[in-house]
Amino acid sequence: MSPEVPPSTRRALLRAGAGGLLGAAVAGCGFMPAKTPDAKDLAPPRARVDGDLVYFNWADYVDPSVFKGFEKEYGVSVVQSNFDSMEGMVAKLNAGNRYDIIFPSAKWAQRLARGGRLRRIDHTQLSHAKDVFGAYSYFADPWYDPGSAHTVPFTAYKTGIGWRRDRIGELTGSWKDLWSDRARGKVFLLDDRDEVLGMGALELGLDVSTGDPGDLDRITDLLGTLRPRLRGFSSDSYNNLLNGNAVMTQAWSGDMAAMLNQAKDPSVFGFQAPEEGTPINSDCYAIPWNAAHPGTAMLFIDYMLRPENVKKNIEYIGYPMPVAGSEKTYAELVKPFPECLVSEADLKADLFFRNGSHAVEDARDTAWTHVKAG
Amino acid sequence: MAPTRHPSRPRRGPDATGTRMWTWFMLPGTLWMTGFLIASLVLVAVLTLGTTDELGNPRFGFDLSSIRALADPAYTEVLARSLGYALLTCVICLLIAYPVAYTIALHGGRWKHALIAAIVVPFFANYLVRMYGWSVVLSDDGPLLRALRAVGLADGDTKILNTGVGVIAGLVYGFVVFMIIPLYAALERLDVSLIEAGRDLYGGPVRTFLHVTLPATRQGAAAGLVLVFLPAMGDFVSAQLMGGPDQIMIGNLIQDKFFQGQNWPLGSALTMLLMLVLLVGMLGYLRRTRKDEAEARR
Repeated sequence: MSPEVPPSTRRALLRAGAGGLLGAAVAGCGFMPAKTPDAKDLAPPRARVDGDLVYFNWADYVDPSVFKGFEKEYGVSVVQSNFDSMEGMVAKLNAGNRYDIIFPSAKWAQRLARGGRLRRIDHTQLSHAKDVFGAYSYFADPWYDPGSAHTVPFTAYKTGIGWRRDRIGELTGSWKDLWSDRARGKVFLLDDRDEVLGMGALELGLDVSTGDPGDLDRITDLLGTLRPRLRGFSSDSYNNLLNGNAVMTQAWSGDMAAMLNQAKDPSVFGFQAPEEGTPINSDCYAIPWNAAHPGTAMLFIDYMLRPENVKKNIEYIGYPMPVAGSEKTYAELVKPFPECLVSEADLKADLFFRNGSHAVEDARDTAWTHVKAG
Repeated sequence: MAPTRHPSRPRRGPDATGTRMWTWFMLPGTLWMTGFLIASLVLVAVLTLGTTDELGNPRFGFDLSSIRALADPAYTEVLARSLGYALLTCVICLLIAYPVAYTIALHGGRWKHALIAAIVVPFFANYLVRMYGWSVVLSDDGPLLRALRAVGLADGDTKILNTGVGVIAGLVYGFVVFMIIPLYAALERLDVSLIEAGRDLYGGPVRTFLHVTLPATRQGAAAGLVLVFLPAMGDFVSAQLMGGPDQIMIGNLIQDKFFQGQNWPLGSALTMLLMLVLLVGMLGYLRRTRKDEAEARR
C-alpha cells in the first residue's frame, strides 16, 4: 500500500466515530421534553410492604438507628443513596432513576408536584398524620402543595446570623450586624442565591423572592456595600465558625444546632434570627411518580413520624420537625440558641422562597452573578 | 504529490499489515475520545442555543439569549482574572519545577525513580480532598498561622485563606506535577556530553545553561506550560476553598450556572467562551512545536 493513501481502516475508524456521535445525539434525547405521567399513575399508594425501600436524601439526614428499626420491624432493607444539591436530585430523577422516597425542599416540592412527578399521599393511610397536620395547621394547606396532597413536611428551619461571642461580643438583633466594623473581613454569606438576595430584600423591606428589576438593582447596590467587608461566600457556616475563619456568618438554624454538638464550649457561639424577618424553609417527604415500592415508602413515612423516632432524628440532625410532642426535645437541644426554634408564627410570616417565572429566575440569576462576581 | 512531507522521512511500519495493526490499536482510544470528549463538546455547543423548562431541565432550541448574556462586563472581568491567575500559576510552576526536575534528572543517580515516585504519589489522592485539607491547614486558627503567631511572624489579622495568594498557591500546588514530569523527561533525554562540550568551549555555567540546556528542554517546558495552563484556567476548586469574593474564577461561575443557577444554556455559553480562550493558547503551542520540529529536521 502506498504511504500516500491513508490505510482504509482509518476511514473505518472515522465512520465508527461518526456512529458514536450519532449515538450521543440519540442519548441527548434526554434533553427533549419528557412525557408527563397520567393522573392515574399518580394515585395515592396504600401503606403496605411491597419491597425494599430505595431511599434518596442528603447524607446523614436521618439517625441510622431509625433505619435499623424500620428494617427489623418490616423485614425489608433500606437501600440508601445521597444527593448533594436539589438540582442534583432532580437531575437524577429526570434521568429515569427510580427511588421510593425523596426529600425535596418546599420550592422543589412545588416544582415536582406541578410537573406531575410526585404520587399523591393519602393522609388517612398515615396513623401519625394528625400530629403533623392537626398540630401545625400551616402544613395542612401550604403554598407549595395545596392540601399537602403530595408531601408530608419533614423538617423546618430558618436563616439567621451565627457569630462568635468570644470575638465580638453581643449583636443588635438586626441583619445590619453583618456590616459591623468589629467583624469586618471575617464575615461570610451563604453561597446561595436566594438566601443572599433574600437577606438584602428583608433589609430593604422588599419581598424575599422579588424578581422586579428595580428591586434587584437596589438589593445589588446594598450588597455591594457589604461585599468589601466579606471574606467569602460559603455554606459551610458551621466549620467556618468553629475554625475561626468567620466571626459572623449567615447560617441555617439547623446547622447551628448541629454545631452545638461539635463545640467544646457552646457559650462562645451565638445565633440570632434578625428582627427584619428570617427566610424560612422546609424539607418534605415525597414519593416520585415512578417509585417501585410506594407502599413501603408510605410505611416509612409513618414510621419516621412515631414520637420516639422523631426524637432520635431531632437529636441526631439538629433540625426541628413539625410533629406534635417533639417541641420539648428540640427546645432542650437548642437551649443555648433559643432562636433556632421555628414557631407557628414564624411559619405564618411566610418568608419562603417562591418559584418565579422564567423572567424572574433569569433576573435573579443575573443579580446573583453581579453580587458574587462584583 | 505531497509538498509537506519530507522526502527522507522513514515510513512508520515495516509493511502495510503492521500499519493496519497499529491503527486497530487506536480504536479504543478513538472511541473513547469520540464518545466522551467530542460528543459531549458537541452537546455543550448545541446547548448554548438551548432553553430551560419549568423544572430547570435543559431543552434544545434556538435561542440567542445565553450568547447575548455573555456581553455582561462581569464575565469579562472574571475571565481576565482567571487568565491572569492561570498565567501566574504557569510562571511559578516553571520556576519551581525546573530546579526540581534538573536536580532529579542530572543528579538523582540511583534515587531518580524513587524521587519521581515521591513527587507523583501524593497526586493519587483526590485533588478536592487535598485542597480541602489545605483549607484547614491554612485557616485562621489552623496549625500554620498558630505557629507563625507563636514565633511572632504573624499577628491576629494575618490571613492566607480567602486571598489571591491562597488561590494561586492552591493552583500551583494542584498542577505543579504536570510541569515537573515533562521537564524531567526532557532533561533525562538531554545528552550530558552537550553540557560538557559547552563547558569545554569556555561557557560559564550560566551561558552553558542558557545556550545548551534551556534550548534542549524548551519543548518539555512548552508541554508543561500547556498542561498547567489548561486545568488552571478552568479550575474552580481552589477559588472555592481558598478564595474570597474577589477571587472568583470563570470555573466558579460556570459551576454556578450548571448547579444552583439551573441555567445549562448559559453555563454552556460560558464554557464555549472559555474554550475559545484555551484554543488560542493551544494554537500558539502547536505553532511553536511545529516550528521547533521544522528546525530540528533542518
